[in-house]
Amino acid sequence: MDVFFQILASGLTLGAVYAISTVGLALVFGAMNMLNMSHGALMALGGYMAWFTMTGLGLPPVAGMLVAVLVCAGVGVMIYLLIAGPMLHSEGFETRVFIATIGFGAMLESVILMAFGPQPKPQPLAVQGGLSVAEVHLPVQNLLILVLAMMLMAALALLLQKSRIGRAIRATAQNRDAARLMGVRVGMVYALVLAISGGLAAVSGITVSSLSSLLPNMGGDPMLKAFIICVVAGLGRVPGSVIAALFIGLFEAVVQYTVGVRFSFASLLLLVIVVLIWKPQGVFGRHQGVRL
Amino acid sequence: MTAMRRDLLLCGLFACAALVWPMISDMRYSVTQTTFFFIWATVVVQWNLVFGIGGIFSLAQVAIFAIGAYVTAMLGYYLGTSMLLAMPAGAVAAVAASLILGIACLRLYGPYVALLTICVSQVLYVLIVNDTDCFTNPPSGCMPLMGGVRGFSRFGDLGFRDWLGAGFYIGNYYVGLLLLTAAILFSIVIIHSPMGLAFRALRDNPVYAAARGVDRFRYQLWIFGLSAFFTGLSGAFYAVNTGVVGPVVFSFQHLLFLLSMIVIGGVGTVWGPVIGAAVLMLADEAMRELGDFRDIGMGLLLVACVVLMPRGLTGLFQDISRRLAKPAGTEGAR
Repeated sequence: MDVFFQILASGLTLGAVYAISTVGLALVFGAMNMLNMSHGALMALGGYMAWFTMTGLGLPPVAGMLVAVLVCAGVGVMIYLLIAGPMLHSEGFETRVFIATIGFGAMLESVILMAFGPQPKPQPLAVQGGLSVAEVHLPVQNLLILVLAMMLMAALALLLQKSRIGRAIRATAQNRDAARLMGVRVGMVYALVLAISGGLAAVSGITVSSLSSLLPNMGGDPMLKAFIICVVAGLGRVPGSVIAALFIGLFEAVVQYTVGVRFSFASLLLLVIVVLIWKPQGVFGRHQGVRL
Repeated sequence: MTAMRRDLLLCGLFACAALVWPMISDMRYSVTQTTFFFIWATVVVQWNLVFGIGGIFSLAQVAIFAIGAYVTAMLGYYLGTSMLLAMPAGAVAAVAASLILGIACLRLYGPYVALLTICVSQVLYVLIVNDTDCFTNPPSGCMPLMGGVRGFSRFGDLGFRDWLGAGFYIGNYYVGLLLLTAAILFSIVIIHSPMGLAFRALRDNPVYAAARGVDRFRYQLWIFGLSAFFTGLSGAFYAVNTGVVGPVVFSFQHLLFLLSMIVIGGVGTVWGPVIGAAVLMLADEAMRELGDFRDIGMGLLLVACVVLMPRGLTGLFQDISRRLAKPAGTEGAR
């Protein structure tokens, strides 16, 4: 029974970490059909920015978080202005932006490597200590991540459902041209979505690195897992991807406990292949009629 | 002159020029680098068939290349198979792997295919690197079944070392040239064949093509399998040429390097990938001195090319030649 709760606790933490990065990706894909392959590098950038503000400049944790989020949101806007914006209306946007963001991510990763070096660093934005409830050991950091993720998801849901900006984002996702005719400034929406996604990537990078350590290429694996989750949920489905992230986190924790850590990634892939063959649009994806 | 004849002629000219290159250049380094160019160009020419002609956004080509390399190395290492036999075996294994992958992912569209194939190659990488159980225990140390982090070495070569002595790399050069020439010929034939026409039809008007009985899935599976043969063979030749196969062939940097070649050269053209491979090899060479800035430069080059030149260098060249031809044409009309 203790083992059950232990797995549940670590699975939910993993799921919460994945949810933060997955939602950012899903938001961008939903709004502009763009797979942002530099998301992993953005996560690393966020983690390093928090490290730099706290260890390098000696500022408090809140400042570390804030600087990381702001810098990554800024880079998100930069991606829109330099890469996605210029090619938005051209042919083959989906493939071209995919390739261009791979290049941008590789560049960003090299810059981080040059600036901070290849040695792993500890993430200062982490809380030590743990709680023991009835033989189940829970690190405070994990609880904090869970609460943080829940708060972020709630805030995002509120933003999307209740605010003017959220309505503009949803309108653009549904139909870009109709939204533009109704006076929505689509370019602004795209820049905003990429900024939100960048900010989420920063938070996700901080949480991932607080569980392991900071490395320039730390974003690669979480990003691929986030994509797996997006595909399982159906690309661009924001609420669905949160549920899928929690499920995948639990699934991974179970596999790690029963089969071994080595096979966790491989079994995730197997799962996604099964899902794609069973439901090519993802579990929460609607079948969209293709207009030819 | 038809387009196919022009391409065949260009291919012949290219092969003749390459034939004399080792005789002109007496630097060993430039000859071995050109051999690597042959290998990468072969991979991207075949990748272009899948990506540019078939319209499948697959990133599996690097994994297929690696499977060809690994099967060849493992046959040589464990069974002592002659490389002349192990290389085709590696290519056939690559075709088989590619067909299985194709059946799994060709029901999907666009970005889903890219994500699935990239995940497959990353999982293969993770499984190989994390494997620490000893399969055999040679004097050099524990050897996992798939070679682990170290990979395989000393699994044999094509015998040029005994035959040509110190000049064995020239033998490898000509094998590489043969490989690339065959791969280009294959690509030209496919592009101008009924299959190429079917793909053009599917791209221009999918509904009409489907109504005329062109089966998208069947043709895409065909091109997936066919292109895997030379990709696997180039992987096998890579193994023989370098003498070492490690998990680095699966790495993301490697994938990025090859993908850049296609994109920069021009997707979906016969000569774009070859030109892209040459340009990127030269750019890589030029940035070798820059150390850490090399990766940044590569990324920058890729981003700039995708944003500024949608159709790559070949597209840019066409645009420029058309623009130059236009004023002359209008004057003639007057």
